[in-house]
Amino acid sequence: MASQSRKGGKNRSGQEGVLARVTNTISQSSIVQQGKLVASDAAFVTKKLLKSTGKAAWIAGTTFLILVVPLIIEMDREQQMNELEMQQASLLGTPPVAPQK
Amino acid sequence: MASHIGVVPPPMTPAKGNEPKTAEKIDYLNLPCPIPYEEIHREALMSLKPELFEGMRFDFTKGLNQKFSLSHSVFMGPMEVPSQASETIKIPTAHYEFGANFLDPKLMLFGRILTDGRLNARVKCDLTDNLILKANSQLTSEPHMSHGMVNFDYKGKDFRIQFQLGNGALFGASYIQSVTPHLSLGSEVFWAGQHRKSGIGLAARYNTDKMVATGQVASTGMVALSYVQKVSEKVSLASDFMYNYMSRDVTASFGYDYVLRQCRLRGKIDSNGCTAAFLEERLNMGLNFILSAEIDHWKKDYKFGFGLTVGE
Repeated sequence: MASQSRKGGKNRSGQEGVLARVTNTISQSSIVQQGKLVASDAAFVTKKLLKSTGKAAWIAGTTFLILVVPLIIEMDREQQMNELEMQQASLLGTPPVAPQK
Repeated sequence: MASHIGVVPPPMTPAKGNEPKTAEKIDYLNLPCPIPYEEIHREALMSLKPELFEGMRFDFTKGLNQKFSLSHSVFMGPMEVPSQASETIKIPTAHYEFGANFLDPKLMLFGRILTDGRLNARVKCDLTDNLILKANSQLTSEPHMSHGMVNFDYKGKDFRIQFQLGNGALFGASYIQSVTPHLSLGSEVFWAGQHRKSGIGLAARYNTDKMVATGQVASTGMVALSYVQKVSEKVSLASDFMYNYMSRDVTASFGYDYVLRQCRLRGKIDSNGCTAAFLEERLNMGLNFILSAEIDHWKKDYKFGFGLTVGE
């Protein structure tokens, strides 16, 4: 019994031995090792790229908010006022004033 | 159809500015008076260095007379205290400032006093048509921190001379001369007795209707160049380059200045990673709303302020 189990065990270990040996060879082959290195490098670079893109996007976004958004708002208001004036001028019948450059 | 026959638009007389400039002979005896030496960077400073602040500001100016006016001003916000460590320390402060101005064509008096004991006074007096006396002093309750300065300006036909005397044995003199209708050159000399320093500086300014370019070199190691272009009546763009050859410090900045009917918006970006914007909006007659923003990306220092200015 014990010998049978041992034999079975040996057989199983023998079979497992074959499986284990195959997977070991595969996992220790140079291609797979290189593939792992490349994947970890790629992950590292992607993480850095995402972080620096995030930083750049933040800097660009806040700078745009401070420099450009008030300008757009004010130019829009100026244009609205100009349109209103032209409308009023045409309503009241006064000759349209040439827009100041 | 008949009305169109014989109607020929009159030939346009060329406007004076369109005459070819090369045909005009420059009258070297009739050059315009130049800008005073200390205001040589005036346009660039106006566009690129607005009075940015952090906190809340309220100014009220009341005119009692045609010549005399009083002003009240409240400021609340963090003030930066220079410290040894690289981190600047901000301490919240609040102060009230009372001031009086007297304006006459010949005499201008200006005084301000703050609740923390500082007194600011300025006098500008036209002694004769060409000679102007200016005095400026700042008194504080801390010892050895008060200073005062007196200037004598003489305005000639196409030149200006200025003498400066300050406390702490500070002497300065400057001379600026118009060389052509567009170009003026100047130089200055100063001597500081307290710090045993003396220096000499040269400046040049070229301006036309559309642009102003200035350059200044000083023996303290500073080289400053600036260029302002007036793109249209409402918009002007300015750029500025400063280089200190003693401390190898370089700063370049670029900014815009929009003067619209209801507001004035100035924005600038710097090579030190600093961007700033300053908006003055006219809400009503005599009522101005001010917003100031400054972001320093390198030092991660963000300053925002708002305020209201009442009175002319």
